[in-house]
Amino acid sequence: MDLTDRAYVERCRDGHQEDFRLLVDRYQKPLFAYLAGRLRDGRQVEEVAQESFVRAFLSLKKLRKPESFYSWLLGIAGRVAKEQFRVRERDRRNCEVPESLTVDAAGHGEDYPLEEAIAVLPESHRQVILLRYYEGLSCQETATRLDQPLGTVTKTLSRAYALLRQELAARERAESTINQTELP
Amino acid sequence: MNCAECRENLVAFVERLLDREEALACRTHLHTCPDCRAEFKTITGLQQRLVARGQAATNVSIVEPVMRRVRQTQSQPERNTIMSMLMKHRWGLGLGATAGAAAVALTTLLGTPKIQAAAVEVMTKGAQAAARLTSIHLRGQLRTAPAENFSNINPDCEFCAIELWKKFEPQLQWRVEKPGRIAVMDGQSTLLFIKPDEAIKFPQPSSSAFDTQWLHEMADLNKTLENELAAIKTHGWPVTLTHEQGTDGKPKSVITIEARSGLLAGDYLKNKFFATADTRRVYTFDDLTERLESARIYLHAASGDTLVFELDQIDYNQTIDPGVFQIQLPADVVWAGQMQMLPDNEKYAAMTSEQAARALLEACGREDWTEAAKFFDPLTAREKQNLGGLSVISVGTHFTSALSLLSGAEFVPYEIKLKNGSIVKFNLSLKRDGRTHRWFVDGGI
Repeated sequence: MDLTDRAYVERCRDGHQEDFRLLVDRYQKPLFAYLAGRLRDGRQVEEVAQESFVRAFLSLKKLRKPESFYSWLLGIAGRVAKEQFRVRERDRRNCEVPESLTVDAAGHGEDYPLEEAIAVLPESHRQVILLRYYEGLSCQETATRLDQPLGTVTKTLSRAYALLRQELAARERAESTINQTELP
Repeated sequence: MNCAECRENLVAFVERLLDREEALACRTHLHTCPDCRAEFKTITGLQQRLVARGQAATNVSIVEPVMRRVRQTQSQPERNTIMSMLMKHRWGLGLGATAGAAAVALTTLLGTPKIQAAAVEVMTKGAQAAARLTSIHLRGQLRTAPAENFSNINPDCEFCAIELWKKFEPQLQWRVEKPGRIAVMDGQSTLLFIKPDEAIKFPQPSSSAFDTQWLHEMADLNKTLENELAAIKTHGWPVTLTHEQGTDGKPKSVITIEARSGLLAGDYLKNKFFATADTRRVYTFDDLTERLESARIYLHAASGDTLVFELDQIDYNQTIDPGVFQIQLPADVVWAGQMQMLPDNEKYAAMTSEQAARALLEACGREDWTEAAKFFDPLTAREKQNLGGLSVISVGTHFTSALSLLSGAEFVPYEIKLKNGSIVKFNLSLKRDGRTHRWFVDGGI
């Protein structure tokens, strides 16, 4: 069976809605980590994550590149988090909700760019990173799960590290340029 | 091994997939090549970020809630199972998502429908009882040294008392105490006091700190069950549910979990801390009050199981004196977390762990406390008294634990003769300070 994101997305589009659970199961932990970098409250993270997956499901037909499902999902989650931020800000102004319960939509000081960098990895590389670090499997367990030799997993992981570093460096350069542009 | 070979193998080295000879060659090359060492640090830095992000991802599963909503959008009737009812009403029941997810996980793992239903019921009721808490006080006995790390376990030690006071409203406050150390979070900041004179303070509140998390989790039943069951699901730990009659004649439900750390038997840190130990965890729920009544943790070893922790008192919703969340420090307290850059910092930052170990021990031998203080965070009167005038017999080659790639700790074997004539042979735990990059003593002395 084809286990790629593209295959799952296409099956969901063909009416096999239960296959969407495989995408939720695959990406819920990295999505939690991404949202934990933006939201300060664990319950909000769950709510926004649920809402993001449901909106993604409802919009699957609009997804032009099924292989980019995770990257697209992060975009949806970012928008849902911002909506929550606006709602909480409004409630805080009206009801004096303690600041600690509000959303940090800017994600100051957090590491959510890492999830964004993971999102643009080739799928085979992304799967190894997700299984190894977000599912907590060892390299051997990852190899077993993917039915690949250990050496292949190690090489894929090694390449994934290199790609992640390139992507993170590019993002840091871009951010640095923006910050410099903003200086008077 | 040359640079190209080293870099090709670095990820495998970090993942501990190289055989002993390859790993040794890689490590030797890293010690002599600053460029490859910098590459190694970059890779381990990225690995630490990935591990931290993985840990930030809560173990709660939202698959079922999402799929229920997906089905609703398709206007399909929902199956009216125990689980669907539980999930549907969990917020109204005050369970939160964690209890629901925990119940799902255990249902997945346990065999027959009868056992599933019983397990769901035990946990659901226990979680409901925990969700109504305003405060909790736990008192237990832990086999450890009185002043050691809160997470340390040592089956060779006698039991010493450990207590947690935790107030949930109007703001979170907590205190963890054992004879040699106290940690307090007063709602504003978090403080650790190691008797008689050492302290460290974080200027912000925390839900747990200073390796007290395992005890906090015991006080937060929802979270405990969630964590235990997520681990069961991830690692396949065996779990059993039994029904017993307690010594008070009342019915009890007992959940036993065989937890495994994943560390190899020869690892230096194996079984030294809760997170690195193979344990059998036994949670007992009173079937009438529905609350967690006791917990016991056994250290599992080839030689047999040893009881290392027993929770013998749980007080729910009692008024806690506000003074519990305050702490009076002695006037001569020495503050940790203050390592400063030195004029010749580079010289110390360039040292190997073996060089640092020898330098600090020799400084103690000379009672040159200015020099010795460069390796302690902080240097206290206790260390001056214990180590002053020592003679160094030997300093060995460092070794690491599986956790060292993350913690950066290196362990250096040493043998010293103290001023009173006694011989001490042990392993010094050294870590690099994040700001100054100097080695400092993290334990083992």
